[in-house]
Amino acid sequence: MGHSVASLAAVTVMRSERTSDVDFALIGHQESWRAAADVVAVLRGPERTPLPDDEIKDILPWIPPRAVCHVDVGSISCTKSEGTDAHGLYIDSFIPPNRLEAAYVHENIARVRGAAACAIQAGAKIVSLGGFSSILIEGNFDQLPERHNTVFTTGNTLTVAFIVQGIRKMCAMEGRDLGRATLLIVGATGDVGSGCARCLAPLVRRVQLSARNVERLRRLAAELQADGVEVEIATDLRRFSAQADVGICAASLASPSLLLGRIAPDAIICDAGYPKNLSASAHMPEAKVFFGGLGQITGGLKFAPDFHGILNRHPFPDVVHGCLLEGMALALEGRFEPFSQGRGFISPDRVDEIEAIAARHGIYLAPLYNADGPVMGVHVQRWGRRPALPGTAARSDECH
Amino acid sequence: MGPLTSVNAAPTECSSLSPNAPIWQDILAQAMTGELLAAMNYRSLSEICDDPAEVADALEHSLGEQGHAAAFAAEGRKIGVDVNNNVDAKHWKRLREAFLHCIAERDFIACLIVQEIMLESFAVASYSRVGKVAPGSLGKTFARIAAEEEDHVDHAMAILRAERALDRQRFDDKVYRLHLDVMTTLAQMLAKECKDGHCEVCHHTCVKPSLFDVSLSAAELRGASLQQYLKTLDMLGMPGEVTLRWVTQLPV
Repeated sequence: MGHSVASLAAVTVMRSERTSDVDFALIGHQESWRAAADVVAVLRGPERTPLPDDEIKDILPWIPPRAVCHVDVGSISCTKSEGTDAHGLYIDSFIPPNRLEAAYVHENIARVRGAAACAIQAGAKIVSLGGFSSILIEGNFDQLPERHNTVFTTGNTLTVAFIVQGIRKMCAMEGRDLGRATLLIVGATGDVGSGCARCLAPLVRRVQLSARNVERLRRLAAELQADGVEVEIATDLRRFSAQADVGICAASLASPSLLLGRIAPDAIICDAGYPKNLSASAHMPEAKVFFGGLGQITGGLKFAPDFHGILNRHPFPDVVHGCLLEGMALALEGRFEPFSQGRGFISPDRVDEIEAIAARHGIYLAPLYNADGPVMGVHVQRWGRRPALPGTAARSDECH
Repeated sequence: MGPLTSVNAAPTECSSLSPNAPIWQDILAQAMTGELLAAMNYRSLSEICDDPAEVADALEHSLGEQGHAAAFAAEGRKIGVDVNNNVDAKHWKRLREAFLHCIAERDFIACLIVQEIMLESFAVASYSRVGKVAPGSLGKTFARIAAEEEDHVDHAMAILRAERALDRQRFDDKVYRLHLDVMTTLAQMLAKECKDGHCEVCHHTCVKPSLFDVSLSAAELRGASLQQYLKTLDMLGMPGEVTLRWVTQLPV
């Protein structure tokens, strides 16, 4: 036992101290206690019994932010001028899953700062902020530690790209005309929400923007209206004049039932919030819900130690959140720049640019799925195609 | 070896004990035992030092730790309890044996790793937590001693960082070997429940279930101690992904 652990440790030490080859770092955290328990189980190794849930809840909050594993991502690009793979680290901020709330914002920012310091110390050239880390930092970049040769990106531009692609794909699968749709965006003034608004507003008939800050809503509405878009704004979803056909939840809803009566019964809904908590089955049986902002790596993804299916818990292989993929794509491209920073700067041009970079390296929209499993459009269902099972090598060929 | 374990004066008569006094009594007993063990360790360390300055330094540390033990005993008297100690209690004895093994090998660096990185992490973290909740001078004493122990760690870090810079692999292997021995014992001490019988320090039944009565918990003391240990290893420059794995593999 000791020998194998020591050997692995030795290999990891050697890799860790070759700091110059850390192209990217991914900062994340676990969304649930189940996910946290699985991470700890991998760290303990198969020869030790998994820790009981109560021990996980006692231990996790005390773990300081730190690297958890090495990550290698491959590119499908084979030109000599571009690298064919990139090496990185996954750094967990160890935000406890029950503290992903506003009440813990200062504590959580401190944890993300700690994780950022780990990335800087490891010599990462670019750092992507995943999940809640991105939300915490998008308006607080000045709170990141001093860095020298490390740049940070929220990854929000690629997230927006995959949300927009997902909406278009879902409309195509369901035979809907996006040009006739009323689009509702919840959390519209955030970085992701406003980016989606700028990309999709020109493609739909009307846009409904909802957020808590009315001043920001007015500013975004004015920006879109200047381009001739029909826009409605409301801080309360009940104030909109009509039901939406397509919805994007760019902020987690306190309760999914808040959408009831605000959207058409068979609306297409993209759950782009964090954590994702919309389910069609509970309150909206006819709604077509999918989890948005996810991409799939087709050039290969490796973790050392092996955290496949643990750090990326999706029903398809090599699916990762767009925010994290942005850092990987930029590393593969050799563009170590803060592509997404601040709030409200995501434009359709920038979305096109990151989408092209990602695609060049084989990073595409992930197959669509929701809490119940893979999503199939009416055209697919008609032919009786079965959904891929979790862990099987299903590729999203239709979206390439 | 001098009479390191005799730091109690005659017990003070106290007519009305606080209901939490027996809990503080056991906490003080564990702390005092740890300090006496540290004093013994530093005295042993002085015996393998070649440099007279290092000998003096180790003896000074030993006296300092003995002073801490006396301070804990005095705090016990203030609340009307007699604070016992038992450096031969099963966990503490194993920790002492691990240290003596390093002494037998005349491995100065291993001694520092055990005492300054492992045992002091535990002391600094747990005393700090106790210092925050313990009333009056009891809390102040724990907080003061935690700060003094932290100074020890700072002193040793410079020596250990320099040693690691000479041969990282060898240094990290040594830390791992010591971790398996010492931290496993500490983890058993810090477990939420004493699964393998009485610890031989608590004066009656195990104090851990009663810690909630003084706004502490065994889980909190363990968590804070392991966090301090990880941070100390970080300061040495050891890879976080490796030390995380070590800590998650400890018994609970």
